[in-house]
Amino acid sequence: MGDNMHYFRENKKTIFLLVAPGFAFFLMAVLFPIGLSVYYALTDWSGIGGFNYIGFRNFQRVLQDRIFWHSLKNAATLALMTITIQHPIAFLFAVLIDRLGGKLEKVFKTIFFIPCVIPVMVTSKMWVNIYNSQYGLLNKVLELIGLGFLKQQWLGDPKIVLYSLVLIMMWQGFGWAVLIYYAGVKSLPEEVFEAAKIDGANRCQTLFRITIPLMQPVIAVNVIWAVISSLKQMETIYLTTNGGPGNASQFLANYLYIKAFDAYEFAYGNAISVFFVVVCLLTTVVLNRLLTRKEYY
Amino acid sequence: MRLSRRAVCLLLAVALLLVVGGILPVIGANKITIKFFSNLPDRTAGQGRLEQLLIDNYMKANPHVQIEVEALQDEPYKQKFRVYTAGNQLPDIFMVWGQPAFFDPIMKGGYAAELNWDDYKDYGFFDGALDGFSMNGKLYGLARNTDLMVLYYNERLFKEHGVKVPTTYDELIEAIRAFRKAGIAPIAHNGRDCWALNILYQDLVTKVSGDPTLMYQALAGKVKFAENKHFLAAAEELKKLIDLGAFQDSFIAADYGAARNLFGQELAAMYYMGSWETGLANDENFSASFRNNVSVTAFPGMTGTGKGKSTDLMGWFGGGYAVSAKSPVKAEAIKLLNYIMAPENWAKNAWQLGLVIPGQRYDQFLTGKENRLQLQLSEIINKATSFSGTPWNDAATPGFKVDSETIIQEFAAGMRSPQDFLRACDQAAQKARQ
Repeated sequence: MGDNMHYFRENKKTIFLLVAPGFAFFLMAVLFPIGLSVYYALTDWSGIGGFNYIGFRNFQRVLQDRIFWHSLKNAATLALMTITIQHPIAFLFAVLIDRLGGKLEKVFKTIFFIPCVIPVMVTSKMWVNIYNSQYGLLNKVLELIGLGFLKQQWLGDPKIVLYSLVLIMMWQGFGWAVLIYYAGVKSLPEEVFEAAKIDGANRCQTLFRITIPLMQPVIAVNVIWAVISSLKQMETIYLTTNGGPGNASQFLANYLYIKAFDAYEFAYGNAISVFFVVVCLLTTVVLNRLLTRKEYY
Repeated sequence: MRLSRRAVCLLLAVALLLVVGGILPVIGANKITIKFFSNLPDRTAGQGRLEQLLIDNYMKANPHVQIEVEALQDEPYKQKFRVYTAGNQLPDIFMVWGQPAFFDPIMKGGYAAELNWDDYKDYGFFDGALDGFSMNGKLYGLARNTDLMVLYYNERLFKEHGVKVPTTYDELIEAIRAFRKAGIAPIAHNGRDCWALNILYQDLVTKVSGDPTLMYQALAGKVKFAENKHFLAAAEELKKLIDLGAFQDSFIAADYGAARNLFGQELAAMYYMGSWETGLANDENFSASFRNNVSVTAFPGMTGTGKGKSTDLMGWFGGGYAVSAKSPVKAEAIKLLNYIMAPENWAKNAWQLGLVIPGQRYDQFLTGKENRLQLQLSEIINKATSFSGTPWNDAATPGFKVDSETIIQEFAAGMRSPQDFLRACDQAAQKARQ
């Protein structure tokens, strides 16, 4: 049996055969489309008709495109706000839900997850109505509680539109963040907490000295996921402001879509998408390095 | 040689399959399927109902033709249309906007089948109606409607607040002030879609300068946006309207449906929109009070500073149909197109059902039972001293459309000064010309 296993592992042909289907799928679904994108990005194709090879001109243009950088900045703002605002709250709620126990634990778990199971289309349109300046809930409530001076054109003012959208996206993703942290909290070994209790640690100490350090891998996964989904953001933007007013709330995926399909600059859209992939990959690698290194402390 | 029973059965089955397989395609050969791609998803009301009615009638008269309709709202329609074009799989007959930003790449790319001018000699198309549907003397599509930009208003709100319906630009400003004071949104506007802002700006340029060709001269590079006093005056006028609160709060974020509903629910006194909204007077989704009080007037001309009159109209021929050049049933699709657009079909019914103003002569179809909006619109057209042609954002390349619409939205949101806006217009126009 042992010999057989050895032979099996050593046989390169077998390894190749076992890996081939997965690799072929990866080739077809990921590498080939990216390659095709690079190819088109080197042309002046409008999306219809013929095209010419124009070298790296599209890539140079992307680097000088102020909307590209602005979209990237918007994604960074969203990621930063998600990590510094949404995640601590989600973490806290995950810990609190865990402490609740019994039926209430299930009830709250479900409540927090509701926004995640409603289609983005529905929640986005709901928020557009909440933010509406004429009949929207938000301005009405502000007026009702005597804070009328805080009324805003939530989606119409270029200075605050991004933050209005960030709030929608944080709300939409809150359930996921809670769920992942909750799963992390649930998997922590009971004995450590019992030991801490015996040693006389209070709740705060337990949270900061035990729960958070033990949750490091979960936090890493959740943070990377938040950053990548901030970069990829498209649906909510498309359904609420389409990046407007002007490009104040523009995000990369929506911008490349507008360039490729509205402006008929398909090749340029592809150049943006290539940079988009590079940015996402680099971010993932850097974050992975940063966050896994911390684990050794 | 003796064959077993099983082998005989097998042989018979194979023979039967061959016979049936050979006959079926012959039977089916007479049946033709035409794929029809439309921007009118509501097949039970308005133009969508008329389109479906004509399609059903055609299928009844031609039992061998099966027509499959795929219909989407404007924006999703445009997106799917681009996907179809990119994949070179356009449906047999499809809706097009006869404007350079949309249809030029399709005609240039050879996606639309050439039509025969002679077939339409008796169709009564208005002068210029087919300009946007033809290129280098060849015809590729037919126009459905005449589009005019007008000012719809709610008579009840004007009466109740003692406001005069504006016939001059100064009166419009007075009306805006009065409704703002009364806490009613003066004009409902869909700023999220941008194009309505572009049209309004062009309207103002014409009203300020009195020259409907000025905008196109600027697009052609003969005049500079930033160096012409009329463009600056019109931009300042638009800024003044926004600062006065002429449009509902946060109009920049309002899409088509939101602005239309605001007006239909009598929360806005006026609505700057196209003549394709004639159906407002019959729209059962709105109250009887609204339907009985909705009226229409031309966007007022200027006195004093401006030279443009209310009879200088923003008007063009927008939507229409074309046939795919690669359609396997091209001849049949053209026959269907010709049937739909025959004057006694589209023009007559569209007018008599009070849906739109056709792109063809309709005077022979007047019944005396027209709704108020139709009569008012007809009067506006009859008094017209000039028509603009394709709105400027649609009059150049698709890239210019995106640029000009972004720029004007930035201007309307206060992100650009009038001068900065005009400089950006020059840059965008220059880019489009290259």
